[in-house]
Amino acid sequence: MTAEGQRRRAFWQILLFAAGLFVLTAISAGSVYLVNKAREDSKWVIHTIEAQNQINALLLEIRRAESTARGYLLTRRSDFKADHDKAVAAIVPALDRLTRLTGDNPQQRKSIETLSSAIETRLGQFAQEMEFIRQDQPEKAAALVSELASADTTAAIAEVATGMLREEERLFRLRTVNSDRSQTLAASMTGIGSGLVVVLALISIWLVRRSARVRDEAEARLRDANLNLEAVVDERTADLREANDEIQRFAYIVSHDLRSPLVNIMGFTSELEELGGDIFRRIGSLSHAPAEGAPLAPAGPGEIALEGADKQLQEDFSEALGFIKSSIAKMDRLISAILNLTREGRREFQPVKVDTRELIEAIVTTLAHQAAEAQAEIHVEPLPALVSDRLALEQIFSNLIDNAIKYLKPRVPGEIRIRGRTKLGYAIFEVSDNGRGIDPKDHQRIFDLFRRAGTQDKPGQGIGLAHVRALVRRLGGTMSVSSELNTGSTFTITLPIAWNVSNRNRDR
Amino acid sequence: MTQPVTIIMVEDDEGHARLIERNIRRSGVNNEIVSFTTGTDAMRHLFGADGSGLVQKGNALLILLDLNLPDMTGIDILKQIKENKYLKASPVVVLTTTDDSQEIKRCYELGCNVYITKPVNYENFANAIRQLGLFFSVIQVPPAAP
Repeated sequence: MTAEGQRRRAFWQILLFAAGLFVLTAISAGSVYLVNKAREDSKWVIHTIEAQNQINALLLEIRRAESTARGYLLTRRSDFKADHDKAVAAIVPALDRLTRLTGDNPQQRKSIETLSSAIETRLGQFAQEMEFIRQDQPEKAAALVSELASADTTAAIAEVATGMLREEERLFRLRTVNSDRSQTLAASMTGIGSGLVVVLALISIWLVRRSARVRDEAEARLRDANLNLEAVVDERTADLREANDEIQRFAYIVSHDLRSPLVNIMGFTSELEELGGDIFRRIGSLSHAPAEGAPLAPAGPGEIALEGADKQLQEDFSEALGFIKSSIAKMDRLISAILNLTREGRREFQPVKVDTRELIEAIVTTLAHQAAEAQAEIHVEPLPALVSDRLALEQIFSNLIDNAIKYLKPRVPGEIRIRGRTKLGYAIFEVSDNGRGIDPKDHQRIFDLFRRAGTQDKPGQGIGLAHVRALVRRLGGTMSVSSELNTGSTFTITLPIAWNVSNRNRDR
Repeated sequence: MTQPVTIIMVEDDEGHARLIERNIRRSGVNNEIVSFTTGTDAMRHLFGADGSGLVQKGNALLILLDLNLPDMTGIDILKQIKENKYLKASPVVVLTTTDDSQEIKRCYELGCNVYITKPVNYENFANAIRQLGLFFSVIQVPPAAP
């Protein structure tokens, strides 16, 4: 999975999301708009129907007024008169309502003006009729009625009203079509929008599934890589272990085989020394014989003093042999040290619970004599207990404390302190002294085999710290030193609190 | 009359062999010393061409054995000596540079009679060999098997 692909996928997902959001907003806005429009259209349709109704109602009232007027004229019954009055009274409000309803349409307004003037005329005629009847001149009224029937006022009213009705009919049709269109639009918009959203959702799901698949593949690859890594690490560890074992074997064999010729060198040097002794005795006896004037008895064990050049020869001889012997002794010590180190490296560690303080106090007791000689005081503070190899711990601490006593400043009372604490599953021990200290440039060197630092006024092979560090490492810990010349040294050892043999065995 | 004991010395380092012989002689032991520098030669001498050990039947032997031989380990030789019915009664002195406690233990387990580490310090070395010589002079090697 490349970063480029990842970015592209993320971009597409964001784009899809944005598109979906946009479509949804557009649909919502469009729907709101269209629904409002449809409502408006419906309102206008209803308005048209109302106007139609109102025209019809107006016409009805006029007819009613006409018919009741006629009824009253013929029968003179007062209930016709009452009905006529009611009808006449209803005409004006009906006309007013119609005027209000059709106020939006200029054409209708013109028709209304015509209509209202016609109606006004008609109302005047009704009033005249009623007046004649009241004055008891029915023939005049009848004449008026018949005259009126032939006159065009009624026809005009009817014509205008029909025109208005037709106009309203036209508007009704128009507005119905409008309303229908709005509703269809709203419906189709919602439909198309929903479809789009569904399509976007499908694309989104597809994208998500694809990225999930890619992620699963990546996870699988990662798992494989991890397994592979573990295998590689195991392999490397095995290689390292083998190399380490090889070095151990090598060191063991080399030191062992170096020893064999050394036995010869030492042996024959001693033989040579003895031969040399014999030779010089003989020389001595030969050079002394004439002086004493009597043949010397076979060379006895007693030393015969030599003189002059002979003495010089004997001294040179002994000196050469002395150097050879001391070199051999030194070489033997070094070889023994390597042997011991490799042997230590091969020893199986046994983790046991160790009371560190007790262990260190026991070491301090065995070193009490040296400490007293160096006027050193050793303070052991409370120390954490741990599970580790007891013998190794003994060697580590006795080496460090021994060093601390050995390298104190002359004529300064020594103070050696052993502190301990725990941190994150590790026990940290500090062995500090106020001794001569170690130059910082030698801090690495002192841990090397056969290397020492500072004034070489104390016996030693340069093995102790190398050994201690090897032990600490085998116990799964680390070791460091902080020191300045003349201000003392602090050796810090970090060891796992619960070192277990299974770790070790796995490492081996 | 008892047959004189023959000392068989298996030692690859001729210098060591010479030093050992010299110090044995110094302690006054005059028995015949037969030296071998390789395990193969020693084995041929001890077990004969057929490897049965019959050639040494009836011979009183004392074997001085070095563990580090060029062609085989002394431990193998020790094991075969102690498994052979004609040789198993002969005392074996292991004399070697190895002072590994595991190895010492193993030698005694296999039937080695004395284990001596060659010290580099010649005084000690000479002393050890001389004492071994004294030991030879008093040791009773079992009479030759009939």
